[in-house]
This record gives sequence, structure tokens and C-alpha cells, in this order.
Amino acid sequence: MAVPSLRGRLMRMIMLVVPLVWLVATGLSGYAAWHEVNELYDNQQRLFARQLLYSTPAIARPVAPPGPGSDAVDGMALALWDAHGELMLHDGEGLNLSPHPGFSGFLTLEAEGKQWRVYYLSANARTVAVAMERKERWEVVRGLLAAQWLPWLLMVPVLLILLWRSVARGLAPLERVREELQHRTPDDPTPLSRAVPSELTPLIDGMNGLIARGAEMLSRERRFTADAAHELRTPLAALRVQAEVAQLSTTTQARQHALGQLTLGIDRATRLTEQLLALSRLDPLQTPAHLAPLRWQAIAARALEEARRVAAEHGIGVELQQSVPDAEVLPLSGDETLVGLLLRNLLDNAIRYSPDGATVTLVLAADHVAVRDTGPGISAEWLERVRERFFRPPGQSQPGSGLGLSIVERVAELHGLALQLENHPEGGLVARLVRA
Amino acid sequence: MRILLIEDDDMIADGLKAGLGQLGFVVDWFRDGKSGLAALSGAPFDAVILDLGLPGLDGMEVLAAWRRAGRSEPVLILTARDALPERLKGLDAGADDYLVKPFALAEVAARLRALIRRRHGQSGPLYQHGALSFDPVARRATLSGQPLELTARELALLELLLVSKGRVLTRELIEEKLYGWGQELDSNAVEVHVHHLRKKLGTAFIKTVRGIGYTLGGS
Repeated sequence: MAVPSLRGRLMRMIMLVVPLVWLVATGLSGYAAWHEVNELYDNQQRLFARQLLYSTPAIARPVAPPGPGSDAVDGMALALWDAHGELMLHDGEGLNLSPHPGFSGFLTLEAEGKQWRVYYLSANARTVAVAMERKERWEVVRGLLAAQWLPWLLMVPVLLILLWRSVARGLAPLERVREELQHRTPDDPTPLSRAVPSELTPLIDGMNGLIARGAEMLSRERRFTADAAHELRTPLAALRVQAEVAQLSTTTQARQHALGQLTLGIDRATRLTEQLLALSRLDPLQTPAHLAPLRWQAIAARALEEARRVAAEHGIGVELQQSVPDAEVLPLSGDETLVGLLLRNLLDNAIRYSPDGATVTLVLAADHVAVRDTGPGISAEWLERVRERFFRPPGQSQPGSGLGLSIVERVAELHGLALQLENHPEGGLVARLVRA
Repeated sequence: MRILLIEDDDMIADGLKAGLGQLGFVVDWFRDGKSGLAALSGAPFDAVILDLGLPGLDGMEVLAAWRRAGRSEPVLILTARDALPERLKGLDAGADDYLVKPFALAEVAARLRALIRRRHGQSGPLYQHGALSFDPVARRATLSGQPLELTARELALLELLLVSKGRVLTRELIEEKLYGWGQELDSNAVEVHVHHLRKKLGTAFIKTVRGIGYTLGGS
């Protein structure tokens, strides 16, 4: 769903609310004006009636109403009756006021479609009526309201323009951010400028976090790809050269040798590719995909079964040494597939670098899980460096990708574990996983 | 032609050794920089194939050490590092050529031949001597246009004599050029090859310099 623009939303709201507020304000002020005008004119009518009643001689004769063109006031009418109800004075505008002897007060009359407000005053046996057309009062109120409306109406466009511009100015930092984002390369790690309205700083901070994480991931992947490309070239070169040798060979023996090397080379390239894929899948993970309490016993059993198959070819024994009941082995929540991969890599390494006939032990304990071999160990010089990706200590006769320990470390890291490598005092290497 | 190969990957080295052997080279292989560094003075190598990513002593350091010591053997660098700065660094450090893995065996051989040819001041691809013509790529020799039936060792000896025109080669040098380390050879192997070549090319083709060795006869 499209979210309307802030500016449009603001403008629409103002266009809706301002007239509404004006309407209510006008209604209120109209009401107040109407009240005041009524009071004013009522008082005038009252005053006028009193003056008329007391200033007219008691024996006044009936007078004819003034003809058209006289100075009669529009919308006003008056009448004076004597004690007998005889009309003595009349300026009626066609309004036929009837006498109400002895009545004093206001009445509303309707005549010829016009509404009149009439004030009767009876005193000294005479009655006077002063009428005023209601419309007259309305016009006054309308005039008052119009005087109020006009400046408002003139100000509306000005207000809208000012608002439009101030909103535009307020949103300018957003536009700057947009432009900055549009022109930025995906691997640019520099954070966005925080010179934005305070409402936007959480957004910018969030984006900066994302940028930093993205840049870090990208640089890690780039490094990985560069390393991987470099490392893939060697087995490929070996494959190519052996294939060419096989083609060139004139003797069956030489060809058989080259073909044998080719098979070994394919195995090596396959393993490297698998390790690379495993690592590239592990790399972007923040947490293991599936979390469940780890059943070390079951994971170890599967890893051992696989390891024993390979170990048997070299007469290497693989043993499980468990010092605590199943449930008490390094309690941890994690992904069994990944932990299985970790154990397989550790066992694979141990078997690979153990002399024929040696023993590899998988230890399951309450506070650690370890794989121990009886091989030559790793010289102190390389003990830390072997964790580096693609690093292989010099003088290796065993094929390897240099990625096994990287995979182990990555899985361990995902599970809050740390990998400790040390040479056992009695010989061999111990790879131990403990809580980080 | 005897080649010194310094490469830490067993499978590549094994392939290069076998493949270049098929193409008429004798290859001695060392797995790390330290032993490779010393090996150059151990035998009369015609060219070196040097891997850069070596354990212990890096290939670039090996090369620099040789050049500092005044060794002028042509060096072909073979590496997985393909970035331009790396290539420039290698060439500037005194390498004569540069090949990035994976490479074609034929190209390695061709570049080695070109390096060796240039070293002996020869620019054409064919070696000529009188009526004899030798093609080091096809490993074929013809005498007056007639193809000659020569064994691999005879071809190697012929090539050696052709590139060393005007020089007297001792029996030891010929042995060292024709056989790598660890290859079995009879005490009179060189004499046997010389004898066979003379039978096929004419006695005057190889001159015996008494007490010293052999050299190419006058054309």
C-alpha cells in the first residue's frame, strides 16, 4: 500500500482542518454577533418606543403614512394607538400591526414572507409598536462576519504557500539523505551525516548501523572470494596439468599414474569446494538457523560413524570417551547439523594428521567437548595461524583446504563456544570446545 | 634442457615433472623456498620455474636472493596470484616471465623454450647446423630434409650441443643436463649417446676434445 507523502498529508489535513475550524469559529462568532446585534436593536426598539410614547401629544390625530420617497427607514415600522385602539400614527411599510392594548414586550410577526420583531409598549392608555424586520439584523451580522472572513480568505493562499515552503524546507535534509544514498556505492562504509532534524536521527542511526554491517559483510565476502579464487586456482592447475600429462603419456604406466593423480585432484577440488560452500553459508549467519537442545550423544555417534569409515583405511582407531551422563554433556542450544559438521571437521583433521595405527579420541565432558589425536601436533609457531582461512603450515603431505578449522571456529562462534588448540604434553593435538 | 622446479603443491609438481619430461625437459623438483634457493647452484639449470606462494621462504625472496647473488638463469614465475601489482612485482624483481595458474602445460614448455632460446642468443624457433635442422617444439630433427629417428635422450643431447655452439661440453655437464637428480645412469651413458648420434648424423658432427669433452663439429 502506498503511503501518501508527508507534505501531501500535511497539506490535505490543513485544507480540511482550517475550513472546519473557520466554520466553527464563524458559527460561534455569528452566534455571538447575532446575540449582540439583537440586544443592541432590541434596546434601540425599546428606547424608540418609549420616546415615541412619551413624546407624542396625547391628542394626536391620526396621520397618513408618508408616501414613497419619504425618508422612511427601510425595514422599520411603527404604530401608535390611543386608548380606544384608534390608530394615531403609522409608518408601516405595508406591515399591518394590530393593536395589543395593555401589552408590553416583544413579539415576532410574519407578514408577506418577512419576519418582524415587534416591541409593544403600553402606557398612559396608549400603545406603541416599533417593528424591525429580522432581515435587517441578519444583514448586520452578515456584514460583521464578512468583515471577519475577508482577511481570512486572503490569508489562506498565503498560509498554504508558507506552509508548503516550510514543509519543503523541513524535508530538505531527507532529500539530501536520499541523494547521498542514491549516489553511494554499496561498499561505502562511511556513515550518513547526522545533520538532520532530530526526528530523523533514529532513522539515520538505524541506516548507519545497516551500512556498517553491510560494508563489513561485503568486505568479508570480498576477502573470502579473493582467497577462494586464489585457492581454487591451485587444484585447477593440478587437474589441468595432470590431464595434459595423461594425454601426452606414451606409456600405460605414466598414463595410469596421471589418471590416478587426476582422480585425487578431483577429490581435493571437490573437498575444497564443499568446504568453501559450507563456509560461505556459515559466514552470513548471525545465529544458528534451528535452535534445539543439543543431543551430543546422537551427534557424536553420527560423526564417529563417518570418521571410523575413513579411519579404518589407515588403521586408525576412533574412540568415544564420555565422563558424564548423556544429559550432562556441555548443555547447549544449537543446530545439530552445524555441530555435526564441526565434529566431523575436527575428527577429519585428527585422522588426517595421525600416523597409521594411531588413536583419535572424541571426549564428551560436562564443560567441554574435545578431539584428541596422537599425531605430531602443530608447532607453536603455527598454532594460532592454523585458524586463518586457507592457512596450511608448511611441509604438509596431506591434502587439505586450510578451511576445516575456519569452519569449526565459525560454528563454535555461532554457538557461543570457543575453540582451544593445544599440543598435549604426551604428544598429539587437542582441539577443545568450551563456552566462550 | 634441465629445469629447476620449485613448487609446494605435490600434484602440480608431479604433473609438471612428468609433462615436461614428455616434452624433452629434465626437471628437478624442490618443495620449499629454502632448498630451492640452494639447488640453483647444485646443477647447470637452463631455466627455473618458481612458484610464489612457498612455505618458509617466499618465491619472491628466493628470486631476489638469486639476482643479488648474480644468478642469471631465466626464471618463469608460476603463481595463483593474478593481480597486476603482483605480476609487476614479480617481473621487476628479476623474473623473465609470468604464468598464472591454472596454466597449460604446452604454454609452460613453450615459454621455457623461448626463455632458453633467448638466453643462447637464438631468436628463430628452429636450430640449424649445416644440413641439420632441429625443431625443439615438435622434437624432430632432419638431415638434408630427411627425418631422423632419434631417442629422447639423443634429442636432448643434440639440443644441448646445438644451443652450446662453439663451447666445449664436459661429460659431467652433459650428464647433468640430461639426467635429473635421482635418475639412474650408466658410467658410459654419455659416450653411448654420442656414439649413436654420430652413427645417425655422421662422425664429424660431434668433435671430441681430448681430455675435456665434446663440442659441435664444423658445419
